[in-house]
This record gives sequence, C-alpha cells and structure tokens, in this order.
Amino acid sequence: MFGLIGHSTSFKDARQKAMDLGYDHIAEGDLDVWCSAPPQLVEHVEIVSAIGKRIEGAYIDSCFVPEMLTRFKTARRKVLNAMELAQKKGISITALGGFTSIIFENFNLLQHRQVRNTTLNWERFTTGNTHTAWVICRQLEMNAPRLGIDLKKAKVAVVGATGDIGSAVCRWLSQRTGVHELLLVARQQQPLKDLQQDLQGGRVLSLEEALPEADAVVWVASLPKNLEIDKSNLRKPCLMIDGGYPKNLDMKFAGSGIHVLKGGIVEFFTDIGWNMMAIAEMEIPQRQMFACFAEAMLLEFENCHTNFSWGRNNITLEKMDFIGEASLKHGFSVLGLQPDLQAVYA
Amino acid sequence: MPHIVNFKIMPTLESTEVEVNNDLVPCLPDFTSEEYKDAYSRINAIVIEGEKEAHDNYLSIGNLIPDKADELKKLAIMELKHMKGFTACGKNLGVKADMPFAEEFFSRLHGNFQKAFEEEKLTTCFLIQAILIEAFAISAYHVYIRVADPFAKKITENVVKDEYLHLNYGQEWLKANLSTCKEELMKANKENLPIIKSMLDQVADDAESLDMDKEELMEEFMIAYQDSLLEIGLDSREIARMALAALV
Ligand SMILES: [Fe+2]
Ligand SMILES: [Fe+2]
Repeated sequence: MFGLIGHSTSFKDARQKAMDLGYDHIAEGDLDVWCSAPPQLVEHVEIVSAIGKRIEGAYIDSCFVPEMLTRFKTARRKVLNAMELAQKKGISITALGGFTSIIFENFNLLQHRQVRNTTLNWERFTTGNTHTAWVICRQLEMNAPRLGIDLKKAKVAVVGATGDIGSAVCRWLSQRTGVHELLLVARQQQPLKDLQQDLQGGRVLSLEEALPEADAVVWVASLPKNLEIDKSNLRKPCLMIDGGYPKNLDMKFAGSGIHVLKGGIVEFFTDIGWNMMAIAEMEIPQRQMFACFAEAMLLEFENCHTNFSWGRNNITLEKMDFIGEASLKHGFSVLGLQPDLQAVYA
Repeated sequence: MPHIVNFKIMPTLESTEVEVNNDLVPCLPDFTSEEYKDAYSRINAIVIEGEKEAHDNYLSIGNLIPDKADELKKLAIMELKHMKGFTACGKNLGVKADMPFAEEFFSRLHGNFQKAFEEEKLTTCFLIQAILIEAFAISAYHVYIRVADPFAKKITENVVKDEYLHLNYGQEWLKANLSTCKEELMKANKENLPIIKSMLDQVADDAESLDMDKEELMEEFMIAYQDSLLEIGLDSREIARMALAALV
C-alpha cells in the first residue's frame, strides 16, 4: 500500500474540509484546537495503472496548516505524528507532500526517529523529489518549443539551483536536454560554486541579473517575500515553470504575456475515485496531482519499497530515468500549457 | 482562485529559521529549582493517586466479572508497582507529594466510576479506567519522558509499556461487546471526556513548570484515545465526533 501525507492550504480551507467530512467538532475549533488535533487517515483509494497493475493507497491529513509554520514545535509534531500513523498502518511507501517534506528537511527531523513506541523507518518514506525534478524537466522540454523557444539556443535560469530538486534539474538540463546556457540562482554562494564545478558550466547570477537574460525560468525555491519584478525587462516569449510550494507565480506575472506553467504536476490517464485532491487546488482533481505524490504510487506500482528520494543531492540521472519511465508506463503525463495559450504567440 | 488569498496570508519558511536554531538545542529543566519542586509536588501526587485509583478500579471491575477477576487482579498489582515507582521519583527529588490536592483532582472521575460500579455498568467502568485514565496516563507519560530527570525517565519508560497492556485489555473487552455496549459507550464518553479535558486544563500550569506543553499533552491524549477507539471498532467519523468533542 502507498500513502500520501498532505495538508490543507490554509486554516480556512482546513475547517471547511473538516466540516465537509463530518468532523464538525474540530471544524469549529480555533487554531489552538487544530494544533492539538491528531493526524487523520481520511481516505482509502484503489488505483489501476495503464498497464493494469492494481494498487491500494491511503491519504493521511497531518492536520497541519501553513499558519502553524511559525510554531516550530507544533509543525514538527504534525509531521512526525503523520509519519508515525503511516507506519503504524503498515503503509509501505509514503510521500511527504506540500510543506511536509520542507518541514522534515528544514527542521532536522532526521534526529527525531523515535515517536512514542514507534521507531520511524525512513525506508518507508520518500520526498518524491526525483519524480518532481523529472517532471519539471519534461515540462520545460515539451512546452518551450510550443512557444518558439529552442532550448539548444536558450538561456535557462534555475532559481533555487542548489536545492535537492534544483540541482537535479540543472544536471538533467545540461547533460540530457543540452540547453545553451544555465543561469544558476540561489541564496548561498558556496553551494552555487560547488554546483557550477559539478556541472562544469553554468553562470552564477543574482535573480535580478538572471531574469532579463532568461528565455525560460525554472522556479524551485519559494518566492522571496517582497520580490518586485520589472516585467517589461523580461524576454518575450518567456516560459516560467513554477515548481515551488506553494504555487503563486501566476499572480506575480498575471497579464504580462509571460507564460507560467504549474511545475511538478502530473495527470493520470483516467479518473481516480478520490476526494482529497480537491483540496490541493488542482484544476482536474480526479486526475491531477503533485508529482511527489505520484512518486509514491509509482514506487508501489513497481514494488520498489525504498526511500527512493531522500536527503539532499542524491538524485541521479539514472534515478530520474527510472522514475520517468515508470511514470509514462503507468499512465501519467506531465502538465502542459493550455492549447489556446500558444495561439497568443503564434 | 483560492491560492491568491493564500499567498497573502501564507507565512514563508524563511521567517521561522531563526526560531528553529534555538529550538534544536535539547535542554532539560532545573530539577532542583523551587518552582520545579513546587509544581512536582502536585504533578507527582496526581500520578501516585492515579495509579492508586487504577489499582482500586481494576479490583472493582474484577468483582463485576468473577471469571476475569484473576486477570484484573494482575493489572491491579502492576498499578501498585507503578505507584511505588512514582513515589520513589518524588523522594529522589526531595519532594513531598500533595496528596489531598490529588484526591480532589480525581474526585469527579472517581465519583463517576463508583456510580457506574454500583449500577454494574461495566462498559462505563471500562471506558473510565481502561481507556480514558490509561490514555491520559500514556499521553502524560510520553510527554514527561522527554523532559524527566534520568531516574524518573527510566521508571516512566517501563510504566508506559504496562499501561499499553492495560489499555489493550480494556479495548479487547469493549471490542468483544461492542454490539451491545455502543450506546452506553457514547454516553459515558460524553459524560467523562470533558472531565479529562478539564483535568488537563487544571494541571497545565504545573505541567508547564516541568516543561510539559499543554498543546502537546492534549495532542498525545487525542492520539492515544483515537487509536484506542479505532481498535475497539468504531469508525473514523464516530471517533472524530467522540474524541474531538473534548477539544472544543
Ligand atoms: Fe499504572
Ligand atoms: Fe494502567
């Protein structure tokens, strides 16, 4: 069985969802109440892949909401408790969705292996980052040409280049896609220099320097809070892939003629009978989902019960090949630009 | 477009990074401070009284089901051992347990159990002792273990294993009788869960002096209680209604 650990995108949404599910009492509770609420296994689902492989899964809501990010201990407990629940339910491979994997990494949860009587078995969890990285690369490769961007001649900026997903994307784009030039953007300088060494190429730039030069931008870092972008300075056409969490790029660039594509999202070939993806604000909730969630499904389809994506900088091109192949085989496709958007620039 | 709204209210992770670093340093309270010992005199008493109540309650339940009396007596003896262990924890810190406070603390739950016992309401007796009190103990002990002095930590770690056996014993009985006892179970939950909640509220300040977070205590309790009800065979909506009723 595969598992997904998710959460609502806001406290308001979480309350609404609790109400819809019949958890009336907690729905009425304030944020303190939610801080004490245990994780809930809210849904079981059965999925048949495009080649007929049948698997079962479960969705666990950690009862975390982004408003808890400032309460470090609470956020930490939410993630650990949800992971404990997944393990206690005997789930073989569980993806950490949304803020879950971000909290896991940034709050150093590797040090907290013991949760009550349960010793967390890291092998049962995956960040899903390998699939996310592969999906983002494929989204760029497939959609850039539709806007008339030839990647072999293009400059592609990767914002958050030194992160787990970012560095994998850089490796793929330079070795597999063969983009003309990579513009490497990240907050810390030393890891950037190491990455550049590793790639044997790419130019280290600040965000302000990189944007006006880029034909395409892959965002895998959270957007700086007060970021002001002079849209008139950007190249046209320009393809932006919003691979961060939460996804909020399209409002930044709304109406500027810049193409923003939600990154790291896949679509299954047929409807999945679940309710929970509606909360992730997918446009087609019965088919679309975060690639990290899909990774848990793929690992289950492939009987590959291991923490496939784990830690930092462990994503190899071979692993991306493996998960990408599985993704196509079992019926996932990557989210593309709307067909009518192409007409705007035709 | 809901996520536009989210963008405005969504805090970013960067804003929490400073806080994180401070929090990563594990740090135990000063077990010798007057504030600690004062709070400990009440918390320790509650724990000792709780173990004593548990001992008496299991013997009482044994009176109602003679063929299980031997098993229940074994549980009662374990509770007595726990009581002695926690008494030693207080002595070790040079603290005198405030027993009158603890008796008062347990009085409402004690009264409800006695009433159920006299009316031979086994379901209610099991719910109060083997589920509510055990889940309350398990959750408090889990939180305590993280901030206890080394002596008490070791004792509590062993106790908590026993309490799971007791919780399990109650679960098994209720599970086997669920078809006939569900209504009484719901009613007993409604009457007694709010008492547990108010007991938690009542110890919150003292627990805080021992570095035990109220929010965490509550969460641990909800987890233990929810797990237990699931084990008994209630569905997740019933459980959510029952368990979360205490939160609001
Ligand atoms: Fe005990
Ligand atoms: Fe016990």
